[in-house]
Amino acid sequence: MSQTRFVGKPIARIDALEKALGKTRFMSDLVFPNMLWGKVLRAAYPHARICRIDTSRSEQLPGVRCVLTHRHVMGLNGFGIVKPDQPVLCHDKVRYVGDAVALVAAETESIAEEALGLIQVDYDPLPVVEDPEEALSEYAPKVHEQGNLLLRTKLQKGDVKQGFTEADVTLEQRYSTQLFEHAFLETEGGIGIYDEESGVITVYCGSQYAFRDQLQIARALDWDPKKIRVCSSPVGGAFGAKDEITIQIYLALLAYYTRCPVKIVLSREESFISHVKRHPMRLDVRLGATKVGELKALDVRILSDTGAYASLGGPVLNLALEGAPGPYRIPHTHLLGRAVYTNNGMSGACRGFGATQSCFAMEITLDMMAEQLRIDPIELRLKNVLRRNDLSAIDHLIFTSVGIEETLKIARDSELWRTRDIRKRDFQPPIFYGVGVASEMQALGLGKGIPDFAGVSIELDRDGSFLLRQGCIEIGQGNLVCFLQMAAEVLQCDIERMRLTHGDTFASPDSGSVTASKSIYLVGNALYLAAKTLLQELERFASETIGEPMRYQECELVGPSRRIPLHELAQTAHSQGRQLKGEGHFVHPTSDKDYGDGLPHCLYSFITQVASVVVDAETGMVKVHDVLSIPDCGRAINPQGVEGQCEGGVVMGMSYALLEKVELQHGRFLTDNFSTYTLPTAADAPLTNKTVIVESMEPTNPFGAKGMAEPPNVAICPAILNAIYDAIGVRIFDIPVTPEKLLAEIERQRKI
Amino acid sequence: MPDQVTIECIVNGKQVRTSIPSGMLLTELLRDVLGLTGTKVACGKGECGACTVLLDDEPVNACLMLAAQVNGHSIVTIEGLASDNEATALQQAFVEEGAIQCGYCTPGMILAAEALLRRKPEPSEEEIREGISGNLCRCTGYTKIIQAVQKAGVLRMRQKA
Ligand code: FES
Ligand code: FES
Repeated sequence: MSQTRFVGKPIARIDALEKALGKTRFMSDLVFPNMLWGKVLRAAYPHARICRIDTSRSEQLPGVRCVLTHRHVMGLNGFGIVKPDQPVLCHDKVRYVGDAVALVAAETESIAEEALGLIQVDYDPLPVVEDPEEALSEYAPKVHEQGNLLLRTKLQKGDVKQGFTEADVTLEQRYSTQLFEHAFLETEGGIGIYDEESGVITVYCGSQYAFRDQLQIARALDWDPKKIRVCSSPVGGAFGAKDEITIQIYLALLAYYTRCPVKIVLSREESFISHVKRHPMRLDVRLGATKVGELKALDVRILSDTGAYASLGGPVLNLALEGAPGPYRIPHTHLLGRAVYTNNGMSGACRGFGATQSCFAMEITLDMMAEQLRIDPIELRLKNVLRRNDLSAIDHLIFTSVGIEETLKIARDSELWRTRDIRKRDFQPPIFYGVGVASEMQALGLGKGIPDFAGVSIELDRDGSFLLRQGCIEIGQGNLVCFLQMAAEVLQCDIERMRLTHGDTFASPDSGSVTASKSIYLVGNALYLAAKTLLQELERFASETIGEPMRYQECELVGPSRRIPLHELAQTAHSQGRQLKGEGHFVHPTSDKDYGDGLPHCLYSFITQVASVVVDAETGMVKVHDVLSIPDCGRAINPQGVEGQCEGGVVMGMSYALLEKVELQHGRFLTDNFSTYTLPTAADAPLTNKTVIVESMEPTNPFGAKGMAEPPNVAICPAILNAIYDAIGVRIFDIPVTPEKLLAEIERQRKI
Repeated sequence: MPDQVTIECIVNGKQVRTSIPSGMLLTELLRDVLGLTGTKVACGKGECGACTVLLDDEPVNACLMLAAQVNGHSIVTIEGLASDNEATALQQAFVEEGAIQCGYCTPGMILAAEALLRRKPEPSEEEIREGISGNLCRCTGYTKIIQAVQKAGVLRMRQKA
């Protein structure tokens, strides 16, 4: 698809105007008649046995309609994307402070709140498992019966010992990352409704995958999934945290037991302690290279603190390992990871999905290697850069598009990079200027062996417009306009001629989750097939009706002697009771190798980011000045959307590098709102935040697209840390680099 | 009921007279009583600006105010900014510049920017950053929001001239 009318154009998002006018209804905005308020009783301890739950006083409070505990869960009392080890309502034990013990529905929010206080739960506190290393000792208290190890994964290629003997320089470093909060702005909120007559339970609640929510709700309620409708779009931000179930099952249960609509909206504090976070990890990296900068061997060991329940802790660990070598050819690798249960809240999917942590460690190591070898950091990366049809550092064939080399060349030629030494002269001590670079390779899709598909159907409406039925959710990323741009390209019609459904399990086929930066790629493929099928269908029907061969062209059907506008054809079909539609179903391609548990992937987006910082060596303050993001996301369906992902990702990643950290003490949150957990404001954002898009056309997508939600918030973190080193010659290996930490390190180095 | 109070105020140009519990928050009055759900609540503690509305032209965090406090005052919410559903230049600029992603911060952000432009019709970039620094946005990284406010400022000056 070289000549395009819609794809690749910066068309305004279809949802933007409504949002600007304040008309958009998020799920937490909905209100229904006779609506009750629901509340969740969370655990009083991070780790405790439950001895007794007494709800009698709470039930007697006037205005209370029901109080539910584990006894009321009709089906499986558990949920979890990979394994359902998280109780819907805790029965014998609580494992983190966000665990749910009971639910209340009452006539007003304040009665519900009061009712929570009247529930009597007797606990027998257990020792809190805080340190993931200690959690693995055989004497450690067990978070789960079967032990504290969730997953151990090992990947290797070649002979890493041999590789290190071939290396002239070997570097070894330990890194650590913090617990990090997504801080989406819309807290978990929504409504459950039970319609007794039809037996349908409807749950309105923002999430990242309505169709999986539907199954998880059905499993917990022992209900026919076909009788569970989930509407979960649009969402006021998610970044991975709403991939897992949040309050959906509570809504369904409360609606079922009260026969009334029940609304729950979590406070910021409750949201903060209960939903998943980004995993804190400890990473030991050993990297060997020859004098001329050829990477020879990489050994990485990761210890990941997954918190109380599995959720996506296993896949996150695996992606951290797969992503660890970055976009480089390395002949000998040994990558070992363990994910461990603790009582430190719980972690799961978060933008970057493990690659965030391993990229941080690898890209700083590479920077140190470049310095040791006296090679320019970008040249070192270019020397080892991965190309299409190479074998990866985990030994699988990269048969999809790879644009990382070009991103590095653009970085190298950029003004920001070229002027880095000259611009240093503009600053006087104690103020220092520095520039850093980092690259990343982000796996897209769910990986080998995990069902990963999208279904789409497109119908011709009776007025001649198109209805695109797809199930993916709008969580802020802007995929809806991209879907329409792609469909418009094939259907040769204006965007205004189309409508689309999103995030409603009763309105469309299952189009997969909005995770792993994958919806543009998968839905794009499926809608291409659907649109092509629809066009054939239109031509067949027109030919039948008219009696001569008709071809579709620009919303008309054209035959040797006649032209019919599409709306006429639509009316004809409608009057005959014919629904003209096309369906498309696309299954994600997979790698030739199979390492189990979703490894490896086969499709990747890439990014190189350059950042300049100004460091005040007296206060330890770091200001990020300029950022250049150079993503390779395949064809950019909507360049403005790609820029938006980059700009937002940069600020989130900057904050990961410098500012944010969830503080826990003995399993309790010391930070649980925006005054204790500070987020960057417009005043903190970089002075310039630019994007240059590289488009390596992806052969397995008809539009050439891949994806771009995660990478911009990944490489930026090590780029900033490398820039700090360039500025003041101080390296920090655990993030965030707070002013106190930086000052202490400056002080320490001064003494040596 | 003893703790009910009657208030009279103007919301988006319309006279409102209603009896409410004295402890009711302004966000509750707007969202739950008047159905103006464009005003968002993301922290409930004055930390994020999602609930920003204009009180007699000044931006305030509605989550920190009691509804009773607006008795005799005039409120503009996001729904009341545009007349006849026609987006204002500022709203249009947010749309065109790509300043809206999830959109949850958007109403508060636009009202904070509106207040800024009323106070300072041609703000510098620095002043814009400062002017919206009470409003958190997790999605956009602020770049396009700043551009949108700049663009709207220029447009408004031109319209006036
Ligand atoms: S909701 Fe009012 S400031 Fe956050
Ligand atoms: S657009 Fe999502 S928080 Fe601003």
